[in-house]
Amino acid sequence: MKLTGGYNIRIAGRPSSTVEVLPEPERLALPLWSRRFNFTELCVAEGDSVTPGQALAIDPENFSVPLLAPRAGTVRLDIAERHVVLEGVAKAREKRYDPRKDLPHAPRELGKGAENRQRLLSLGAWQFFEDAHTGALPDPFGTPRAVIVSTMRLEPFHARGSVQLGKRLANFTRGLEHLQSLLEYQPIYLALPDVDSDLASKLTGTLRGYAWVKIVQVPLRYPFDNVKLLARHLGLKAGDGDPVWALNVDGALAVDRALTLSRACTVRVVSLGGSAVSEPLHVKASTGYPLRELLDGRLTCDRVRMLDGGGLAGETIGPEQLGLDAECSGLTVLPEQAGRELLGFMRPGSDRSSYSRCFLSSLFAPASERHTTGLRGERRPCVSCGYCEEVCPAGIMPHLTHKLLYQDELEEAERTRIDLCVACGLCSYVCPSKIDLCKEMLEGRERIREELHAEEVA
Amino acid sequence: MMKLLQTMLNKARPSFHDNGKLRGLKPVFDATENFFFAPESNTRAAPHIRDPLDIKRFMSMVIIALMPSVAAAFYFFGPRLLAMIAVSYAAGGAVETLFAVVRKEEINEGFLVTGLIFPLILPPALPLWMVAVGVAFGVLVGKELFGGTGRNLFNPALVGRCFLALGYPSMMAGNWISPGSGPLGRLVQYVDASSVDAISSATPLGAAKQGVMTPVPDLLWGSVSGSPGETCAIAIIAGGLFLVITRVINWRTVAGILGSFALLGAVLRHVDPSTFAPVGWQLLAGGLLFGAFFMATDPVTSPVTNGGKWAYAVVIGVATLLIRALTGYVEGVMFAILLANIAAPAFDEVAVHFRLRRLQHER
Repeated sequence: MKLTGGYNIRIAGRPSSTVEVLPEPERLALPLWSRRFNFTELCVAEGDSVTPGQALAIDPENFSVPLLAPRAGTVRLDIAERHVVLEGVAKAREKRYDPRKDLPHAPRELGKGAENRQRLLSLGAWQFFEDAHTGALPDPFGTPRAVIVSTMRLEPFHARGSVQLGKRLANFTRGLEHLQSLLEYQPIYLALPDVDSDLASKLTGTLRGYAWVKIVQVPLRYPFDNVKLLARHLGLKAGDGDPVWALNVDGALAVDRALTLSRACTVRVVSLGGSAVSEPLHVKASTGYPLRELLDGRLTCDRVRMLDGGGLAGETIGPEQLGLDAECSGLTVLPEQAGRELLGFMRPGSDRSSYSRCFLSSLFAPASERHTTGLRGERRPCVSCGYCEEVCPAGIMPHLTHKLLYQDELEEAERTRIDLCVACGLCSYVCPSKIDLCKEMLEGRERIREELHAEEVA
Repeated sequence: MMKLLQTMLNKARPSFHDNGKLRGLKPVFDATENFFFAPESNTRAAPHIRDPLDIKRFMSMVIIALMPSVAAAFYFFGPRLLAMIAVSYAAGGAVETLFAVVRKEEINEGFLVTGLIFPLILPPALPLWMVAVGVAFGVLVGKELFGGTGRNLFNPALVGRCFLALGYPSMMAGNWISPGSGPLGRLVQYVDASSVDAISSATPLGAAKQGVMTPVPDLLWGSVSGSPGETCAIAIIAGGLFLVITRVINWRTVAGILGSFALLGAVLRHVDPSTFAPVGWQLLAGGLLFGAFFMATDPVTSPVTNGGKWAYAVVIGVATLLIRALTGYVEGVMFAILLANIAAPAFDEVAVHFRLRRLQHER
């Protein structure tokens, strides 16, 4: 499949390449959930002292992926609901990883490959992997068809690959080597932007000798970093046998850390961006870092919406979440819309950036806009302008699906292939009628699965 | 000023909402309020940010693009045009509002375009009551009976015009005004059917059937008789290009109509020069340009797929040419577009079929 559609939204608050090391907090609050995981099985009790790298809880549904303690401290479970709070946090020497002691359930005689995979899982590196087609956590002991390593994160905003990499190019390539040692002959695809950059030329220079790394050049346009799209682009079709593993730069670095140093991966480079952030940048933070301290003094307004992820596909962080969750790679903070604009639609719009060219700003060089959470218009019937189809990277027709779902034609809607939707959110973004296309597609997909394929699932 | 307006709206709001006395007129209040103040609703879920373009802006672009044509029409045909626009807005707006109130839905902005286009495609001396009847019929039958904006099959303005053309053929064939000239044109002259000296008999296409060819510069500049909006080719092209550049209309439709018209016209002109006028002249005469840029491109009534758009455009181009040359009708754009409107869903169906067949094997 050729990569078509896509659009780069010019939103203010792009994180700079600065990576700020945050001060050590006194207390960490580790949420027992994240985007994919639900750490329901606790491994520690109230008042326990833990060492860095110790598992606090595991997710039994996802191959027992652990939630690791980033620092030493005392466990408190009653302070906040669904959080493990560590008090008296201190940096301490990490306990050395010992497969015999740390893996009570593992078979006694583990092969070298299986041992390494178990090590990835126990040291928190496995959680950076995802199944390219389903987005779920793949089986750590399974065999992939291929591995896609993406160096890009194009949604506004996530921690960028180039920033996470920093000066650790050697660690990255070593991570790729470790990754290759887990595989037999399967290829590793490395997705690089198709522009001449320092990073790209360094990477291609270093990897020239690695026959098993195939470099894929991708246009720098959102959402071409999406692994589901990349897998389709590379001809790795869903359901064609083994899964396709996907990971980002942070994942490859975590693999290196776990397998070279046998150290737990609990500290990440996280982006802090969005139009409500005064100085957008990247920070180095551990899981559970208190969000309040993280954002203290960095916001430009009071009423904000905080997102885990970017402005298009990110999820709202509610007030109940106190610390950084285990999977977060970027925090985007948007101002909630406040006040109403007089005759907004008649303004020339030199300060707006729009997909259409209906604003004066399209005459100038691209400028970023201070987006808020405003819907920016009234909900109207679809006028078939076709913008959603133009931007759709999956090559489907959101307007058609919208009409079919509206008429309750589930079978017809299924034929429009909503299952190919990658939930990038661009259709909803560009729609002048402010139809929640992306949400409708996801709900439609769910309904089709429940109502048309109930037997197959059961 | 802004504060005052907001206070007034806030004061009026209770009587329109919930159990207020005027709650039936809620759509009217909402439309007024949202006209002045951008709505304050927020996104609920991902994506959390939205493009600044909304339907109000989208439709406003069409109105801006029509301004050169309106200005030219004003110059050539006088202030009566403004009266026609006012009547059209009032009558069409009444129907739109009535339906919004009965259906308890919002008033849609699309009507602002229909209400402006309609008087531009009528003979300039047409009685005002006919303007009212026509636009009311167009909005009612052409749009509201189909379920309102977004669901209509036909271009409402053309339905209204078609109704008048079939119901009052003589009035629609006459009532032309000879264009004004000089620095003031007819800017300060109210000309209607009673001013005998201004009434002219034939539009360029009508005259051509009698063998009188209007010179091309006049067609470009617009100093010819005809519907107020369709005469000045320069103004139409300027407005139309504006819409193409802002991506409000799709270039494929326009290119398809004008391209197929020119291509077939050139071939037929070569075959039978006595029936078919020169292509360049034909492109500029009559309502082809106005239809191609402003009416055929209506996103709702034209196909949404690119393949469908090309087929639709070719039907319009070919049908216009053939109706003009081979039938008793002087102008064919209206029928051609209405005909293609009928076919649009079918074209889409075929294009979607092929598209889905290609998608079938994607995984």
